[in-house]
Amino acid sequence: MSFPILTFVTFLPAAGAVLLIFVPKEKAGLHRTLALSITLITFAASLLLYFHFDGAVADPQFVEKSGWLGYGINYHLGIDGISLWLVLLTTFLMPIAVLSSWTSIQKRVKEYLIFMLLLEAGILGVFVSLNMFLFYVFWEAMLIPMYFLIGVWGGPRRVYATLKFVLMTMFGSLLMLVAIFMLYSYYYRATGTYSLEIFDFQKLILNPQVQGWLFLGFALAFAIKVPMFPFHTWLPDAHVEAPTAGSVILAAVLLKMGTYGFLRFALPLFPDALEKFLPFLSILALVGIIYGGLMALVQKDIKSLVAYSSVSHMGLIMLAVFSLTMEGVEGAIYQMLNHGLSTGALFLVVGILYERSHTRLIKDFGGVSSQMPVFSAFFLICLLSSVGLPGLNGFVGEILCLFGIFKSSHLLAILAVSTVILAAAYLLWMYQRVMQGPIANEKIRTYKDMNKRELAYLIPIVIMMFWMGIYPQTFLRKMDASVSRLLDRVHNREKIFLREAGSITSPKKAVAGAFALGTSENVPAGFEETK
Amino acid sequence: MNSFNALLPLLAVVAGALVILLLEVFIQKERRDYLGYASLVFLAAAAFLAVMSWGKEYSYFQRGLALDDLAVFLTLLFLLAVAFVILLSLKYIRQQDANHGEIFGLLLLALSGLMIMTSSSDLLVIFLGLEVLSVSSYALAGLRRKAEKSGEAALKYFLLGSFASAFLVLGLAFLFGAARSLAVPEIVAHFKAASGSPALGLAGLALVLVGFGFKIAVVPFHMWTPDVYEGAPTPVTAFFSIGPKAAGFVVLLRVFMNFWGAVSSGSALFWALWTISVLTMVVGNLVALRQTNIKRLLAYSSIAHAGYILVAILARDQAGLVFYLAAYLFMNVGAFAALIGLSKKGTEYLEIDDFAGIGFRYPWIGATLSVFLLSLAGFPPTAGFLAKFYVFSAAVRAGLVPLVVIGVLASLVSVFYYLRIIVAMYMRDPVREVDIEVENPALFLVLFLCLYGVLQLGIFPGNILVVIRQAVAALPIF
Repeated sequence: MSFPILTFVTFLPAAGAVLLIFVPKEKAGLHRTLALSITLITFAASLLLYFHFDGAVADPQFVEKSGWLGYGINYHLGIDGISLWLVLLTTFLMPIAVLSSWTSIQKRVKEYLIFMLLLEAGILGVFVSLNMFLFYVFWEAMLIPMYFLIGVWGGPRRVYATLKFVLMTMFGSLLMLVAIFMLYSYYYRATGTYSLEIFDFQKLILNPQVQGWLFLGFALAFAIKVPMFPFHTWLPDAHVEAPTAGSVILAAVLLKMGTYGFLRFALPLFPDALEKFLPFLSILALVGIIYGGLMALVQKDIKSLVAYSSVSHMGLIMLAVFSLTMEGVEGAIYQMLNHGLSTGALFLVVGILYERSHTRLIKDFGGVSSQMPVFSAFFLICLLSSVGLPGLNGFVGEILCLFGIFKSSHLLAILAVSTVILAAAYLLWMYQRVMQGPIANEKIRTYKDMNKRELAYLIPIVIMMFWMGIYPQTFLRKMDASVSRLLDRVHNREKIFLREAGSITSPKKAVAGAFALGTSENVPAGFEETK
Repeated sequence: MNSFNALLPLLAVVAGALVILLLEVFIQKERRDYLGYASLVFLAAAAFLAVMSWGKEYSYFQRGLALDDLAVFLTLLFLLAVAFVILLSLKYIRQQDANHGEIFGLLLLALSGLMIMTSSSDLLVIFLGLEVLSVSSYALAGLRRKAEKSGEAALKYFLLGSFASAFLVLGLAFLFGAARSLAVPEIVAHFKAASGSPALGLAGLALVLVGFGFKIAVVPFHMWTPDVYEGAPTPVTAFFSIGPKAAGFVVLLRVFMNFWGAVSSGSALFWALWTISVLTMVVGNLVALRQTNIKRLLAYSSIAHAGYILVAILARDQAGLVFYLAAYLFMNVGAFAALIGLSKKGTEYLEIDDFAGIGFRYPWIGATLSVFLLSLAGFPPTAGFLAKFYVFSAAVRAGLVPLVVIGVLASLVSVFYYLRIIVAMYMRDPVREVDIEVENPALFLVLFLCLYGVLQLGIFPGNILVVIRQAVAALPIF
């Protein structure tokens, strides 16, 4: 395709943000309409990606590549069967997020929407970049709008929450930057050319010890983003303080950047190190599942309950990724989308409640369903999707994840099932206390049921939940090839490397050179000291 | 090529300084803006002459003054910085009772010192440039004659500066005793030959390092920085934060970078600089956390940035260093410009509490200051990120991984205090009444030029990178 569609999709929101700067501040309605149309156009454009995407091809498609700064820094975009879905998830949820903040954001609407659009551009950039430099630029730049969204429009402890979010994320990503520098330098030593291309780095075979350090650099950044236990502490704070739309994007898309990072970088680049750290990481993921679930059980605030449920669900996704089986990884990707939909929807539902009650404490509610019957149906569907009821999306993802985990370890799978049990417990119990029983106080009688705008953004999500639950082939079909290629690279990397070594002039020599790195005097002087 | 042309940009600046000083006598106090405009004309002339010397490698006085490409590039940077500072001072000096006319002349004189320092490889000539710069700087720091802090700044700067100069001269004497020359190539040749003990030469180099360490404000020679930055008139502070610092680094680049690698005993020097760099990054950033006065905070931030730039010296990444200086010029002058914007007659708003809520009240100042702070913190897609990217990636390639890890962690600390200012601007309610005079076109010109610079260097630095690589390509490596 000659039309640079990925550039268009990625930068359209940013262009929209620039446009909004020039619209006078007073016209809040115009701002909202413009932002909504821009996000809708972006979604429409990204649908083209879906229709033109060839599911049989494993390599990145819609590739755009041009030189940028030289020395390996290129403008290189492309999506494969993994990133396609994350791009679609982002563009699908963005208009919903804008709609959900239509009335809840009354203060500084212009700036709010500008940051939302910039955030979308940043997130999309992360998913479509194939050059490490470009990836890192988007990865970091996307923190700035999120920082403002939480910090300006958030709840009472917003400053603490936003600084914690930014600093913890940056701690990981700065160490990842050092690891990127090292890869950059190793690649230069092995081949004599500069490159920052993700797929070039996959050809580099490093000695296991070096891999270990680099893997830790990458894994820490992604583990903080996911977040895996024990790096999850920023998440409940950020979620509770963020405005509804911020929480939706944070839970639905931002966390996926972490899992995506594992799939795209940490796994295929460092298979030997992965093997070494796998048991440890699996245990952390399992602890996350159980810990998140137990914490969710005892939360008093609905929003932080949903936040902890994210920790638990993301733990399952990570565990499935670490199973390194076809079912597990596909299930993990599927579950990433599910989690995006169902947790996003739960945050929206909590937002709807909050707009009416201005409280999120479970004890302030009771018997809401008799007052808001339509709402209670939507709430229940979203909740059951998160629990994993058959017929809804969550079931397909969870069952695939559990199959995959079972293949690699029976014990882990048995323990991981607790995610489903715990989710049912904390979510249904919360539903019971909030929605059912006698009406708890007089204020609830004043609640109005959902209005058209709220229906307009929840209905598409619910449709998707059913679709993904009933006919998963639509989605899985397009990721098969990319996932099997990914696993092939993890399991049989050296064979592939020898076969594909075309870009390196003398494969044998390059392999030897690459193997030698880290074992002989080729090691950069400073590196030994870090061991 | 031996040619009088090597002197032309310098002469334009010096002539400008003298003419401005003379004109000041005849021009009424209310019309002193014209002195500023006149100095801009001289700067433009010097810039034109400098551009014309690009690629010509003019030199004069038996290579005592060599206008190589690096010198041309830095001359242009300095001219731009001084032009920014002049634009910023036009209104400031009237507001803050510093309208004594000398400021423009002194700035041009200081600029001539910078130009001498960067276009020579002879340590004695460099010393001359340094003194021209220093003497004018002392006077500039004390320009707000009625403010106590300004007087304190000038006195401290003068006392400590002369002390540092004394160290430098002693070091030069040692070096001359050892190598019988003060030209860098000959000193390096002497070290290479290494007949006899290099102790005398090394002691000389160490003392020279102390002298320049003071100028570039690295730990442990940084004590003067916060006081001088706080007391000096704010445009002058902006000048101090980029001018003397950049010149000092270029001297380090020309002198010290040649030693390790060429000289076996150079590794002592390397580790000394390594230690200084780590100390500077760590101490600068940690102390900045505790500052509530923005000028002092930026002073410590500039100390920390000196630490990052030292990493470039250690990694022998000349292009990265020059790019860092260019990026630093735009983001730091921009930040100071925003500070100057937040003032009215007789008052400057410099405490972090003053910043509460101004982001939405003065949207352009708030937004541009945020971009400059994010750039200083190293967020993409700004110049600050790319500068750090080049420096740190070169350092990893040179095998300095522990240094880079310390560097990135130190910059994580810096993120906190830069973001704290943004938190104040956008996320806090106003604590006290802040009422500024917004009418200041020259200031907004500087703000937007700096914003443009920060984004251009951060996203499409293409041509500038090419020019910088060409400028450093001709440097002799021993």
